[in-house]
Amino acid sequence: MLDADNAAFIQTSVSISLATCGVDHLPNLMRAVGCKLLDGGRRVGIFLNATLAPALLADIRTNRRVACVFCLPSSNRTLQLKGEDAEVLPFDPADLPLIAEHLADFVVEVAPEGVPESVVRTLFAYRPDALVMVAFSPCAAFSQTPGPRAGQSIGGTP
Amino acid sequence: MNLRIETIRECLDGVIPGLIATCDGEGVPNLAYLSQVQFVDNQHVALSYQFFNRTRQNILVNARVRLLTTNPLTAAQYVLTLEYLHTETSGPLFEQMKAKLAGIASHTGMAGVFHLRGADIYRILGIEQLPGPTLTPPPPSLNYLTALRRSTNRLATCASLTSLLDTALDCLESEFALHHVMLLMHDEGRGRLYTLASRGYPESGVGSEIPFGAGVIGICAREKTPIRIGFMTKEYAYGRAIRDSAAADGMADALETAIPLPGLPEARSQLAVPIVAHDRLLGVLYLESVADLHFGYDDEDALVAFAAHLGMAIHYHQQVEELAEELPANDHGKVESSGQPLLVRYFAGSDSIFLDDDYLIKGVAGAILWALLSDFVARRRTSFTNKGLRLDSRIRLPGVSDNLEARLVLLQRRLAERGAGIHLHKTGRGRFALAVDQPLQLLDG
Repeated sequence: MLDADNAAFIQTSVSISLATCGVDHLPNLMRAVGCKLLDGGRRVGIFLNATLAPALLADIRTNRRVACVFCLPSSNRTLQLKGEDAEVLPFDPADLPLIAEHLADFVVEVAPEGVPESVVRTLFAYRPDALVMVAFSPCAAFSQTPGPRAGQSIGGTP
Repeated sequence: MNLRIETIRECLDGVIPGLIATCDGEGVPNLAYLSQVQFVDNQHVALSYQFFNRTRQNILVNARVRLLTTNPLTAAQYVLTLEYLHTETSGPLFEQMKAKLAGIASHTGMAGVFHLRGADIYRILGIEQLPGPTLTPPPPSLNYLTALRRSTNRLATCASLTSLLDTALDCLESEFALHHVMLLMHDEGRGRLYTLASRGYPESGVGSEIPFGAGVIGICAREKTPIRIGFMTKEYAYGRAIRDSAAADGMADALETAIPLPGLPEARSQLAVPIVAHDRLLGVLYLESVADLHFGYDDEDALVAFAAHLGMAIHYHQQVEELAEELPANDHGKVESSGQPLLVRYFAGSDSIFLDDDYLIKGVAGAILWALLSDFVARRRTSFTNKGLRLDSRIRLPGVSDNLEARLVLLQRRLAERGAGIHLHKTGRGRFALAVDQPLQLLDG
C-alpha cells in the first residue's frame, strides 16, 4: 500500500494529523508528534499526546477507523492514508529520539512560513508518559497535494 | 464555557493552516487542510469550496464536521464543531473570500490552481480549546478603540470637506499608524472611482481613476464590502485592472490614464473599505503595506467603523454646501494684469482640459473648469456657487448623487499641484472664487 517513495515521505519533516469518526458520526481530530514504520512498512505508527484527544482514542477503540494526513509545508505535497484496523498501543520510550528529531526538522521546515520555534515547541509540547502510539495498516492512500489531481486514489479501496 | 469565535479570529487567517475532519455515510473519516476559514459572525464561519473532493462529498451527506485551528502567536489550539448549512456563489462574502484566496494561492504557489467555487456557510455548534501550554501573546501594536475614539472626535471638528479629507488621512497616519492611504470617490454616472486624496506616495495621484468592479478597490466598491488580502497577488493588482479597462473603453469616455494611480509597487497586504452614507456608496478608503498579513480582522473592523463615520461626515459637508444660499456675484477676485497668456484648450467630447498643451483633467471637473474660465474671460466673473454650477447646463451634472463638492476639491487640488496660475478657493459655504495669475487664451477644440 505504501510505496517506498511515500514511506520515505512520511518520515520527512511533515505535519502529521489524525482523524476518526465517533458513534454519532461526528469526527474527532488532532495533531501528531511523529511517526514510524512498523512491520517492514506494512503498518504505520503515529505518536500522539493522549491528554489532548480522549475522544479520538475512544473512537479508535470502538471502530478502529482512522484517516491520517501528512503534509510538507514547503512543497504542499500532501498524502492521506486510511486504516480500518487501528489500535492504541503503549508508547515505547525508545522512540523518543524519533520524536525529538522530527520536531527539530519541523521547526526548520516552517521557519520560512513565519512560524517561530517557540510556537512549534509549544504546539507539540508533550510529556513522555502521556504519549501513545496509534498503529494501523494503510488500506487506502490518496494524494491530496492541491491541484487537478488532488484526492486521487494512489492505492487501496477509495 | 463556550468561546466566542470573534475573540479567536486571529486563528482563522491561515498562518498555521486549519484542518477539517468529516465522516461519510458509512462512518469513514476524512481529513484535509483548509485554505481559508472566514469569520462571518459569532454563530457562523465560511469555508472555501474549491474542489469537489471527499470533504465536499462528505458534508453533503453528513453536515457535522470538526475543525482544528491554531493561534499563530500563542500556539493555542481550538476545535470547532460545525454544521454545514449552504453555499454562496456570489455577493459580498463570496468576493471577500475570493480575494483573500487569490492572495493565499499566490503566496503558496497555487495561483491558477486555487479557484473559489463557493463560500460554504457553517453554523458554529461549539468551540473548545485543547488543553496544553500556550505562549503569552505580544502586546498589540495599537489600541483600536482609542484610535477610533480619537479619530472620530477629530473628524467631528472639521468645518469643510477639504479639512475633513485632510484630517481623515492625518488620523489614519497618526492614530492608526497607516502610512500608505488613498481615498477615492465614487463617480456613479461614469462607473468609476477617482482619487481625491492620498498619503505616503511620491505623487498624490489626485484625479487618477479605477473602474468600478476592478481590483481590490473596484470590487470593494461594487459589493460595498471590505476586501482584505494578506499576500501579494497579481490577480488583484490595480495596475492590471486599469490597463484591462482602458483597453476595453471607448475613446469618448476612456478611463483616466494620464494621471497614474499612486500605489506601492510591491504591496503585500491590501485593505479596501467602502465609505457609505445612507446605504449609498460615496467612495473607498484604500490602505496597503509592504508586509504580509499586515491587516487583521481588528484593523478591518476599526476601519469600517472609521469609514462609516467619515461617510456620514462627507455626506453632511456636501449637503451643507448644497443648501447654502447663493449670493449675488460681487466679482472682485484677483484679475491678471500682465504676462504671457496661458493657452487653455478644451475638448468637448471628453471634457478634457489642457494647459499649454499639458493635460490637466477631464470629465465633470473638466467641464466645470471650462465653464468657470469661460465666464471669467467673457465677463471677468470670479465668484461662483455650488448651486449655480448645479443649474449650469454646460456642466451636465449627472444628478443629486454627483458629489459636486468632492469634484470641486479634486479640481482645486489638480490646479494647485500643476501650479499653472489658476486657483480655486472657498469663500464660504457653497461659494468659491477663481483667481488667475496671468492672461488666459481659451481655445475650444
